[in-house]
Amino acid sequence: MIRTLIVDDEAPARDKLRRWLSEPADIEIVGECGNGLAAAEAILRLTPDVVFLDIQMPGLSGLEVAAQLEPATTPQIVFVTAFDEHAVKAFELAAVDYLLKPYDKDRLVKSVDRLRRRDPAAASAAVRAARRRTGTSERLLVPQGESLELLDAASIVWLEADDNYVHVHTAQATFMLRRTLADLLAQLGERFARIHKSAAVNLAEIKALSPLFKGDHELELRSGATLRLSRRYKDALFTRLG
Amino acid sequence: MPGTGTVNRTLLALWSLFWLLMIVVSVADHRDSGNRWWEPLLWEGSSCLVATGWLLLQRRAGARWQGLLAEPRRWFLRHIAWTPLLAVSFVISVYALRHGVYALAGVTYEHPGWAYVFCYESLKITLFTSLWLSIIFGLESFARWQQERERLLTLQRHLAESQLGQLRAQLQPHFLFNALNTISSLMQVDVARADALLAQLADLLRASLQAGARQTTSLREELELSRRYAQIMQARFAERVTVSWDVAPDVGDAEVPTMLLQPLLENAFKHGVELSREPVAIRIAARRGDEQLHMMVRNSGSRLAPNGRSGIGLSNCRARIALLYGDRARLDVAEEGDGVVATLVQPWRSAPS
Repeated sequence: MIRTLIVDDEAPARDKLRRWLSEPADIEIVGECGNGLAAAEAILRLTPDVVFLDIQMPGLSGLEVAAQLEPATTPQIVFVTAFDEHAVKAFELAAVDYLLKPYDKDRLVKSVDRLRRRDPAAASAAVRAARRRTGTSERLLVPQGESLELLDAASIVWLEADDNYVHVHTAQATFMLRRTLADLLAQLGERFARIHKSAAVNLAEIKALSPLFKGDHELELRSGATLRLSRRYKDALFTRLG
Repeated sequence: MPGTGTVNRTLLALWSLFWLLMIVVSVADHRDSGNRWWEPLLWEGSSCLVATGWLLLQRRAGARWQGLLAEPRRWFLRHIAWTPLLAVSFVISVYALRHGVYALAGVTYEHPGWAYVFCYESLKITLFTSLWLSIIFGLESFARWQQERERLLTLQRHLAESQLGQLRAQLQPHFLFNALNTISSLMQVDVARADALLAQLADLLRASLQAGARQTTSLREELELSRRYAQIMQARFAERVTVSWDVAPDVGDAEVPTMLLQPLLENAFKHGVELSREPVAIRIAARRGDEQLHMMVRNSGSRLAPNGRSGIGLSNCRARIALLYGDRARLDVAEEGDGVVATLVQPWRSAPS
């Protein structure tokens, strides 16, 4: 079964997808969402195989939702948009699957056929294209109890890797994300720098540096906390700090 | 832009040449006639001095008659009316000057009798004035014509740009494709409703294609189009938007710029409904007051862009009302309560039926 999530902020558009996607026996519709944040939550909660994702939605756009996903674990994404071909080119979505509204049944069937082949490369291409388009994320989606919360990237103090999880530390709280540190850093961009194999820090939060043994340093943060800077990442950090 | 400055500079050059010529001719004519060398200089110089005074007066006071340039007869009559005063004051001041200088030099200024002098000088002055008035009229008309042409060209350019922008704003492909998708979905379950939406979409398209050709329409027609637009948007966003109309019964015949309300309504949907997860209320109001037409589009659930920049839609609307009504119309967009309100005030005019 292909477990499928439908995301569009317009009810008639969802109806149309549901009606046609209900016909193939191997597709199971696991949920429908009317906005980006609900979609991101549903993707985490339901772990669908496929998401039909509208681009222009209130709150969080379809591209922003996709940008928050990790390429390695992302469901397959079919962007659905009323933008024209020209805009789609600008969005660099050519490499990924997309439906232009209004589409007919044949076009949807073609998309579904492609989905059945389950090409993981295409899935990660969608996330990368979305990230290229949205640029460095200023906001990060983090789980808060049962739901998701949008965290301002500037408010993150440091990131701590822990097996398959990353702890996101802000001044007030710590959130746990099921992501790799490398991918999170790729999404958040220049604001953060690695200081250790399993830690990265918000450059704006660094207050002082003092040398320890064997080329390691101690980082003092504005919050008062201290972190260790391993010598492997020392030069790169010094360059970034100028 | 050519203006009074250019006219004055050209006039000064011509005036200087003219008097230089008069003085040279006069000096040459009287060289062998036994006069003292300075006498021809004094005769022409005194005339030049007084005439220049009158020219300066014309430059200052004549500005108020610039509006008459389109009616040459009235313009000339207004100027010619001053000729008697000009003649009398000219003869008196010029001859006073000459007698004064001669007296200082200890000689007598000999000239024909006063009656002859007066007639002769008046005739000369009338001819002289007519000549220079014609030159001034020609220069000013030319400058005015150039200004007018410049203004017309600017106006045409603005109109053309605005019309292009107008078409661009209306045929928003995004709106069109979304509406088509809604219809494509509806026709599977409700053929009659899909059919109605398709007709409404066609009306909108037709109107937006025609809008380029017609600058104004009646508010009744404009509201009718806005209703069609709102109905399509309501079909798309169903439970997420309520639209209410508060239109005074006596405003239907008011003249309004074609497709002006529609972009405002489009903004209300775009920034209110499409970007808000809460249900949004949109209200459209129109009323007459103080010989003005007041229109308003309000939406809940949005803020203005923090940088204070307005979109292409709004600046296009502003450009159009400025072209049509000058500074007697204005379009303000402000935050109000939990939303944004666009207010449009323009002079009241009845649309031709």
